[in-house]
Amino acid sequence: MDLIQSGVKTNVKTSNGMIRPNTFRVIAGPCTVESYDQFVASAKAVKGAGFEYVRGGAFKPRTSPYSFQGLGEEGLRILSEVSGDLGLRAVTEVLDPQDVELVMEHAPILQIGARNMANFALLKAVGSAIAGSAEHGVILKRGFAATVEEWLLAAEYVTSAGGDNVVLCERGIRTFETSTRFTLDLSAVIVAKRLTDLPVIVDPSHAAGRRDLVVPLSKASVAAEADGLMVESHHEPQEALCDAEQALPAEALVGLRETLQPFASAMGREVV
Amino acid sequence: MEHGAEMEGRVRELRARVDEVDRELVRVLNERARIVQEIMAIKAEVGAPVYDPRREEEILRGVVEQNEGPIYDASMRDIFELILHRIRDLEIQRGEFSR
Repeated sequence: MDLIQSGVKTNVKTSNGMIRPNTFRVIAGPCTVESYDQFVASAKAVKGAGFEYVRGGAFKPRTSPYSFQGLGEEGLRILSEVSGDLGLRAVTEVLDPQDVELVMEHAPILQIGARNMANFALLKAVGSAIAGSAEHGVILKRGFAATVEEWLLAAEYVTSAGGDNVVLCERGIRTFETSTRFTLDLSAVIVAKRLTDLPVIVDPSHAAGRRDLVVPLSKASVAAEADGLMVESHHEPQEALCDAEQALPAEALVGLRETLQPFASAMGREVV
Repeated sequence: MEHGAEMEGRVRELRARVDEVDRELVRVLNERARIVQEIMAIKAEVGAPVYDPRREEEILRGVVEQNEGPIYDASMRDIFELILHRIRDLEIQRGEFSR
């Protein structure tokens, strides 16, 4: 039986190579760049698992102003040095329009987080900063209280400012449920893909907030027509400075590719 | 008593007119949907995305401009937003199951 229904778009792409037709892109890495040693160990695990994109935060939007806020510029330097040495492409969050140029120097892929999805000044700043760049791109997370329509309009702010290579990322929404940190809204992935040609990826780590759900939700994301994943991983999750309970350990990351490939094959995709 | 019967007759007459207008609304809404279907078919052929917020805004502004009341401009916008989205959703779902 052909599992690929007529409406499924597996051929979307970005011109910077992040999303390629008929592939399922996995981005992995720690929540935060904590130190050179920590990041290099975690990035090597990503590389060892066969993935090409590493994530790591330098500027962290924490709920409490007293929580660890990230290493800032030093974190960016570690991120670009390590990713450059290992031949990985880096994804990192930008919080402030003033930091856009700086972040672009250190990472090709800028993430706009859920808390900033409706920060229109930031969306426009990122859109105009990356306009015309063949290398840079944006991962736009869905706000945890945003409708699909609002999410797509946020993406329009980036594209109408000239920004290309926008990838949408579903990361869970607030509901009454308390057994997970957020509720992963997979229907939103499908709806967004029906409405636009923008690639849509899923962040199961932040949605679930617990590592035992990350792999099952990743499999579900493949079936729900997503074009990729962004997962948190850490070489020593028990020592992670943030989001420790949702990070996959290195050994689980190695198995992830193999685990997902049968599901991806059914959808006509290759896990990359 | 006499007065009540007169009023009842008048309301019945007005309701018949409302029913007539509703029939016309249903007819033109479906006519609108069929035109959109033609546009969607062309979009599908050239691979253009369904979602076009710029065009939606253009339609909604046009609707408000033509609105002479008594329906509020904001309400007319809400009504048309729903019409636009329901017809759009119909098209997305048709693409999924028609083949």
